[in-house]
Amino acid sequence: MTAFAQSTYVYLTKRQSGLFIVLALIIALLLLGAVVSDRFRTPANLMNVFEQSTALALVSLGQSFAILTGGIDLSVGSMISLASVLLSGISGGDPASTAFAICMVMALGIAVGLVNGLAVIWLRVHPLIVTLGMGAALQGATLLYTLGPAGSMPLGFDYLAYGRLFGMPVGALITIMLFVAAAAFLRHTVFGRHIYAVGDDATAAELMGLPRRTVLLFVYAFSGFMAALAAIFLVARFGVGQPYTGQNFTLASITPVVVGGTMLRGGRGGVIGTLLGVYLISLLNNVMNFMDISSHFQMIVQGLIVMLAVSIYIESKRKI
Amino acid sequence: MSRISETLVASPRNMIDVRRLAQSYGIHIALLTLILISAILSPAFLSAGNVSNMLLQIAPLGIVVVGQTLVILVRGLDLSVASVMATAAAVATSFSGQNGDAATIVMVALAIGLLTGLVNGLLVTKRNVSPFLATLATMIVLQGLRFAYTQGAPSGNVPPFFRAVGSQLFYGIPYNLMIMGVLAIIFSVILRRSTFGRKVYITGGNPITARLVGINADRITIACYLASGALAALAGLVLSGFVGVVDNWVGRGFELDSIVAAVMGGVALSGGRGTIAGALTGATILVVVFNAALLLGLPIEFQILIKGIIIIIAAAFYVRRSEA
Repeated sequence: MTAFAQSTYVYLTKRQSGLFIVLALIIALLLLGAVVSDRFRTPANLMNVFEQSTALALVSLGQSFAILTGGIDLSVGSMISLASVLLSGISGGDPASTAFAICMVMALGIAVGLVNGLAVIWLRVHPLIVTLGMGAALQGATLLYTLGPAGSMPLGFDYLAYGRLFGMPVGALITIMLFVAAAAFLRHTVFGRHIYAVGDDATAAELMGLPRRTVLLFVYAFSGFMAALAAIFLVARFGVGQPYTGQNFTLASITPVVVGGTMLRGGRGGVIGTLLGVYLISLLNNVMNFMDISSHFQMIVQGLIVMLAVSIYIESKRKI
Repeated sequence: MSRISETLVASPRNMIDVRRLAQSYGIHIALLTLILISAILSPAFLSAGNVSNMLLQIAPLGIVVVGQTLVILVRGLDLSVASVMATAAAVATSFSGQNGDAATIVMVALAIGLLTGLVNGLLVTKRNVSPFLATLATMIVLQGLRFAYTQGAPSGNVPPFFRAVGSQLFYGIPYNLMIMGVLAIIFSVILRRSTFGRKVYITGGNPITARLVGINADRITIACYLASGALAALAGLVLSGFVGVVDNWVGRGFELDSIVAAVMGGVALSGGRGTIAGALTGATILVVVFNAALLLGLPIEFQILIKGIIIIIAAAFYVRRSEA
């Protein structure tokens, strides 16, 4: 065996045994799906899974960063709702104003995240409460702006959601690239290591002179930015921004992070686990749909998976 | 998180005193100010009808808040309370809508609440799962079970007895408020006067110390989750008595409202500090704010906005000394 294969094997089984389990579950689901339904096996269906998971993957990436520092971002759902109505509202189908709207929405995501970070740092309030309050405020602002679907998008904007590049959905390609970049950033840059250090022990990190405040500001700004990106993809998919689009994403974005082995107390885990978590959950929903399992039971299964995941990871907790 | 930086940058002593004073009485001052402003802005606010209306609304939230406070005191968090409320109410009333079965209905509801609390407690203590996730998972599972059981459309009838308890007044005081009051007093006395209560504060204040002095911290924590589940189930019955029908979303939003109320009332998320009385004052503030916003004709979106801002301001008020 080559050294690469060997080191990959060691990495998966020894250092990231959780990831190994998630990967095994994904493969098991693929097999199960293939047995259950012919239509599951079609490339179109698998592309469909990729398409549907894009928005969740994007939010969860930002959420992973927040959770890695021991925090959490409960404002992402409302952020998505606000960003999506603003995007299509300002655009109004005009390409020129669409470019402006996209920039504005991204900037808004970063700004909201910075406010979250500042509140966490200066008010020293628990991130849970800060972002919960921010989420309520953003949802209020969204409803003040519009009570229903707002504006429209120019033709061709749905390329982001439905377009294909090298046979893959564009959104999925962008997502995978972002995740790989984020993983490299976390693992191989000094600032990336700082994020882990702050999450593992903020006091120790601060005593060592690491920029705790900069790290916190960065992760919340990044989380807000990723929520805005997710909103852009959702608008591309639905063709219009709606005031409740993001509602379910707040809690949904936490599940893949946890399933992927990132500890809520911070400092452990990584974004590749999150991506696998996203695909696991999307696949699970897809397979259960093919098996004609009612959405009620799908909910139960999802809850049980969260329980199972968090129970497994505690046993195998280990320093990065 | 910032324990050390705080000692390094110690604030002057008189500043701390002002902060302490504000921490002790700030919530009451805030409530009085709020009532005053509301009364000035809207003459209807202090009318007998509106006051009893508000009192009726405090009880369901208040009962949940009592349980939530217990859980937060041991460094926990219970996100499953709203799901427990709806599931308990939907399942327990599905058998019968008769007064004669009231005891059975209460028992079934309590069983659901206690079982959920037990799962939460075991996950948190024995499996070391973070409370946020453990209760999030039970919340989702319960939600699924409820929908699977009711097939999406609960058919339960609320017995007249529960309707009376949930919505009638006794010389101007709602029955449900009395229930809340009795429960609040019982649990306050337990927290203050009993060994168990002191153990709750020690466990939340410093779990390691608690273990070193021989307290079975796991048992204390599980007891708090059990209480929270049971109280949420009762609150579900009380609330469906107030509304008059059972639907799948009885108590929707109570998980966050109850946490917000407790935090506003000075219950520290880092555990070991806070009182039930304070948390209930927080719950009252929430009810008053919503009522006032409604009377002033502010649209619902303003209420959400105001709620968000209040949460942050209130939480900022109680600056944490240290974090687990």
